[in-house]
Amino acid sequence: MVCQLCGKNAATTHFKKTVGGRTEEYYLCPVCASKQGIGSMWDGFGLDLGDFWGSLFAEPTRQKQDTVRCENCGHTFSEIARDGRVGCPQCYVTFYDRLLPSIQRIHGRTGHVGKAATQAGEQAQREQELEALRKQLAECLANQEYERCAELRDRIRALEGSGNEE
Amino acid sequence: MKNNVWYRHSGPEGDVVISTRIRLARNLAKFPFPASMTGEQRAAVVELFQKTLAEHDPGVGTLRYLSMQNADPNEALAMVERHLISPDFARCEEGSGLFINADETVSMMINEEDHLRLQVMQSGMALDEAYALADRIDTQLDETLHFAFDDRLGYLTQCPTNLGTAMRASLMLHLPALQERGTLQRLTGTVSKLGMTIRGLYGEGSKSQGAMYQLSNQVTLGISEEAAIANLKSIAQQIIREEREARKLLYGHPQFVDRAWRSLGILRCARLLTHDEFLELISHVRVGVAVGCVQGPSLDDIGTLINTVQPAVLMQEAGRSMEPSERDEVRAAIVRQALA
Repeated sequence: MVCQLCGKNAATTHFKKTVGGRTEEYYLCPVCASKQGIGSMWDGFGLDLGDFWGSLFAEPTRQKQDTVRCENCGHTFSEIARDGRVGCPQCYVTFYDRLLPSIQRIHGRTGHVGKAATQAGEQAQREQELEALRKQLAECLANQEYERCAELRDRIRALEGSGNEE
Repeated sequence: MKNNVWYRHSGPEGDVVISTRIRLARNLAKFPFPASMTGEQRAAVVELFQKTLAEHDPGVGTLRYLSMQNADPNEALAMVERHLISPDFARCEEGSGLFINADETVSMMINEEDHLRLQVMQSGMALDEAYALADRIDTQLDETLHFAFDDRLGYLTQCPTNLGTAMRASLMLHLPALQERGTLQRLTGTVSKLGMTIRGLYGEGSKSQGAMYQLSNQVTLGISEEAAIANLKSIAQQIIREEREARKLLYGHPQFVDRAWRSLGILRCARLLTHDEFLELISHVRVGVAVGCVQGPSLDDIGTLINTVQPAVLMQEAGRSMEPSERDEVRAAIVRQALA
């Protein structure tokens, strides 16, 4: 079997992870395994979670140009993917679509259930989100990513709608 | 050693459950997460929490503020040993600090992995009580600070593993009989399928020193606080039941009763005790006391002792650094006196 990450070397490490009843398996070569911090687990140094989550964020098949930056903190998606750490709360809005698959992999599900913050600044937050979405839309239009444009338009409409109801 | 701290008294299900911990991660929407903050932003966040806590007293007694930059290294390590702060936080320097109340049930780490890590600790199995207190403090702080929140992702945290409720609920369990019978391997697999983890509290690997284990929820997104706590409680009840049954079986045999008494004998006489040896022996004594085959110290005495003789706690009490050999001597003296 070939390593799932580099696709070149033979896979020698079989790594299994179970979260929320969902098991995921990875077959990795020694080089990629040690890059993920998996090799070092057996050496007693523990798993480097930063690298590990970082790898979960990686989008190996979609090499996107990193033109989008979070307006609040300036992080790009690749910076988040590299560190496994999100820059600021606004990043979750800016990169929602790209973060979602990884979040689903980590938790086994999406969609918050439970306590909600008071969010007195709800209106302000919505405005901020709308602004970020409009900016992404402009960039997608410029890059002729029409499918994504349609998605973004729908989300903008939904957000504008929810604001008017109040 | 303070007299009023929570761990001096054992709580509900105290024969198996040593303590309960609820931890909530919260962030301020206006600031980047701690790893991306400047020194000025870190200071501003600390100041904001200081101001808010001064103006809106959460009603948990006087909160002491400890700036990690000025903290005595032994005091910081002693707090790690008492599970008040994380090892990473003890190494934090500028712009991070800890608020802590007198009985150490409530602590708040500022600018650790998130802007706020609110922690409530209680003796024994007290998940509902601990969560109720954490929830109340969180709600009160949120009225002023408006924590970062998204309808779809819940509370927003620096690491996506904590999204959703951003709540980690843990029980510290004493499982000597299940460890002895080798049942814990199977348990580890079962609890992970239910979105929880169980791991040794001291030492690496599957066998924990002193048979202390921590059971916590792992998944935080898509499951409410109440549901996560109910799950944790029901798994814990099953583990408690199994541990009690295993104890009954094991301590029907004279060699286990003998081992518990011998352990007490060594602890009462030893002149040098490493922390590892102490943990192993006190674990045998604790289970002996819990099943009623050993008379002498109470579970409260034992709980207090476990929290008194950890390496950094010893040095903090002594007010100076000590070589391991000196610590072993001091530890043995404290143990002899406590168990005499």
